Amino acid sequence: MGWGRVCTLLLCALMPALFLSCERARGGSAGGKRLIILGIDGMDPDLLTKFMAEGKMPNFARLAQQGSFRRLTTSIPPQSPVAWSNLITGMNAGGHGIFDFIHRDPKTFQLYFSTSRVEGPKHSLHLGNWVIPLGSGSAEQLRHGKAFWEILDEQGIPNSVYRIPANFPPISAKGRTLSGMGTPDLRGTYGTFTFYTDDATAVAGAVEGGEVVQVEVQNSRVTSHLIGPENTFRKNSPPATEPFTVDVDPLEPVARVSFQNQQFVLKEGEWSGWVPVEFQLVPFIGNVKGICRFFLKQAHPRFQLYVSPINIDPENPALPISTPSGYSRDLAKEIGEYHTQGIAEDTKALSDGVLDDKEYLEQARTVLAEHRRAFDAEFPKFRQGLFFFYFSSLDLNGHMMWRLTDPRHPAYDPTLAAQYGNALEEFYQQIDQVLGEVLRKIDADTTLLVLSDHGFAPYRRSFNLNTWLLNNGYITLEAGSTPDANQPFAEVDWSRTRAYALGLNGLYVSQRGREREGIVEPGQADALLREIRQKLLEIRDPKDNSQVITRVDLASEAYQGPYARTGPDALVGYNRGYRAGWRTILGAFPPDVLEDNTNAWSGDHCMDYTKVPGVLLSNRKIDAQNPALTDIAPTILAEFGIAKTKDMMGQSVFHPR
Amino acid sequence: MTILSALPALAAFKLFLFTSPLAIVVVLSIVIGLLMVVLFGYTSNQKAIKIAKDQLKAHLLAVRLFQDQLHVVVSSYGRILRGTGRYLKLAFMPLLYVIIPITLLVVQLDRYLGSTAISKDSPFLMTVRLSNADALNDVSLDLPPELTMTAPAVHVPAAREVVWRLAASQEGVYEIKVVASGESMAKTVRVASELARVSPVRLREHFWERMFMSSESALPENSPVEAIAINYPERNIEIAGYEMNWIWLFFIFSMIAGFIFKELLGIQV
Repeated sequence: MGWGRVCTLLLCALMPALFLSCERARGGSAGGKRLIILGIDGMDPDLLTKFMAEGKMPNFARLAQQGSFRRLTTSIPPQSPVAWSNLITGMNAGGHGIFDFIHRDPKTFQLYFSTSRVEGPKHSLHLGNWVIPLGSGSAEQLRHGKAFWEILDEQGIPNSVYRIPANFPPISAKGRTLSGMGTPDLRGTYGTFTFYTDDATAVAGAVEGGEVVQVEVQNSRVTSHLIGPENTFRKNSPPATEPFTVDVDPLEPVARVSFQNQQFVLKEGEWSGWVPVEFQLVPFIGNVKGICRFFLKQAHPRFQLYVSPINIDPENPALPISTPSGYSRDLAKEIGEYHTQGIAEDTKALSDGVLDDKEYLEQARTVLAEHRRAFDAEFPKFRQGLFFFYFSSLDLNGHMMWRLTDPRHPAYDPTLAAQYGNALEEFYQQIDQVLGEVLRKIDADTTLLVLSDHGFAPYRRSFNLNTWLLNNGYITLEAGSTPDANQPFAEVDWSRTRAYALGLNGLYVSQRGREREGIVEPGQADALLREIRQKLLEIRDPKDNSQVITRVDLASEAYQGPYARTGPDALVGYNRGYRAGWRTILGAFPPDVLEDNTNAWSGDHCMDYTKVPGVLLSNRKIDAQNPALTDIAPTILAEFGIAKTKDMMGQSVFHPR
Repeated sequence: MTILSALPALAAFKLFLFTSPLAIVVVLSIVIGLLMVVLFGYTSNQKAIKIAKDQLKAHLLAVRLFQDQLHVVVSSYGRILRGTGRYLKLAFMPLLYVIIPITLLVVQLDRYLGSTAISKDSPFLMTVRLSNADALNDVSLDLPPELTMTAPAVHVPAAREVVWRLAASQEGVYEIKVVASGESMAKTVRVASELARVSPVRLREHFWERMFMSSESALPENSPVEAIAINYPERNIEIAGYEMNWIWLFFIFSMIAGFIFKELLGIQV
């Protein structure tokens, strides 16, 4: 017997053993049971019904016809971090503690991201301009409660959960998980773009979703810096920067970008691929890696270069974004670099006018293409247990493209509508194609759930709740001061303020013992809230006499669980067409209580939760007549014969009691 | 029968060896580690090196044993210093005999392992640097049919350069003609998916730079073009989750191999 034969035989003997041990390491056996969940953020039941009726979503139509299609009751409030946390834990916000995108510290009124906290080391040593950390920093997830895949792990059910929101940093898991919405960019924000221009009329500095940097074109060359994360190794933590050069052809609309030993050429209106970038925090010792994309918006007569938010590099993540930790890298090797930032579509760049509709849509299509590449890579590997895959496109593009489908919208533009009015429909159709791939490959032992966290509605008019509270005597300003339309709670006299609004739906009582200068006794809070509720429900829009607010849920009635009283005291539910104004969300006082929304962000769901249900479709019969997001975790567990935990509120949608 | 059944495994191994840069680096490191040790053994005075090393060990031992006798410690340190100088003197020439051919070999290997060839349909840049910025508008390319220009040329007066973005529709070795101020010169570009020898730049003059970076003949001395460069992507080799340039891997593996062979062959280094 030759050595080649020996090697071949050994390989043949070892391969099954290796395969089995890998399977075991991945979490045991689900007894052949398979559950696939497609999480489609923001898929609206009305739009879906319309597109199915028009024959534009044949795979969804087939699934609805052969299986079931229900409206899925969303969360209070119907915001994605809250809704997905309901789904993940089977509890409402009182149980998982996520009430909004942003939360506030009642003592300091400091705002912070609701789902995670990234902190530097607690102690450090200062040596001149250098700061030496004594210990390591941390990234902490703020969602409470057990996630359904933690329970599956405990029971040995294999699972992979791709990009589910409110899972940054990802909790410890045996299966493959990748963090989704809530994952910051390298600067620690939800996404900060940079826009370089020599346009003297552009105002340099921070804009809503990014930063505008004034540059000069000298001898056809622009020299500037990419702006990275705060350098906590330096005194006062200035941002780390890396220089780059752009050589613009003197005549043609084309330029060469040179950056950290990399060079690429961009035509006007062209995007680069992902460009790796390394920020040096301490020379030769400490650096962080990210990836970004460049877009040459204009070469002549004005120089305009957009640089995307710098995403955490999936191949060298500066913060944990996957389990196992090397999974993000393995995926990048397989499908190429991809957005790791939770909200990948750069909606702010469109709202700020830095990108136009065409440019934004190119970027948004790239995001969906990446998600589809990841899906195409991961789905064929699924053998048994749970496979969860999340798509963000219908939500973000619902927000941005709604105005082009709604002639009643203040931001409706018939010319743009003619060009891009069907963009949202295209995204729906792409999701239909994904479903088609799944339907082709499922068998009788496979349960399929397709669901969304909420639906969608127009956002035509802004309601400035803080201005209304001010006008109605619930907020009082310092004597002689005037309302500030931009600064949060500027000049508020807290000794005479009883209630305030913060976040997209939150209404708070300024309670004694909780807020720093609270004056309302805890026992009087509910009475005050009922009084405000009564008045809010009576508000009519002078434009067409529509009711602006259709429900107000008191936290004491809506929430159960240990965190029920740590969030807003009441949740304001706006009618379709209305939402909290952009500036009132952060505590400012715009002059008008009601104003037109002319922002490109034109569709929304942060309103009365009964008006924006999500969707639930399955290849099996759904027995529950009014399923809710909190039913999904119990449903998943029941599919694998696992009893729901005592904290879970819902029940299996297939076997309701 | 036995030979026949071994053939696929042999073929697979051969394929792995010739397509995996890591395997190539490992094999080369072992071979070169062995060669380094043997060459050092032949070109050095082994007996003198052994004596120098033994003496160094003795002096080090003296430092440890007579820590309480200052004059012994001080004189031992002096002897260690002298002994080190003697050892370095004995090793200098043999090291030169080893280093010079190894350096030349590494330069040649870097043409294969330092960069990857251009991939089919992937954009790449070709940069022509001129002596005179005034001639920037007098440069053009003559492309073979398999190559196309995917963006207009970028003229960079600040660097006296013209940059083209090109893409290849088929794999192969192509010659791009650059016409500058009426003079024509060529640059090769290699489009391949497997390991290939590439020359990132063609230069005028700059003997040493050419020696280390180019495998093409020099541009004519009176040419208006100083350099023609292709931005071949840098190759990083992955090992144990880390990616690094092949030179580092080669350095680590050849040192390990050298230490092993030194012991096996009883050569004093």
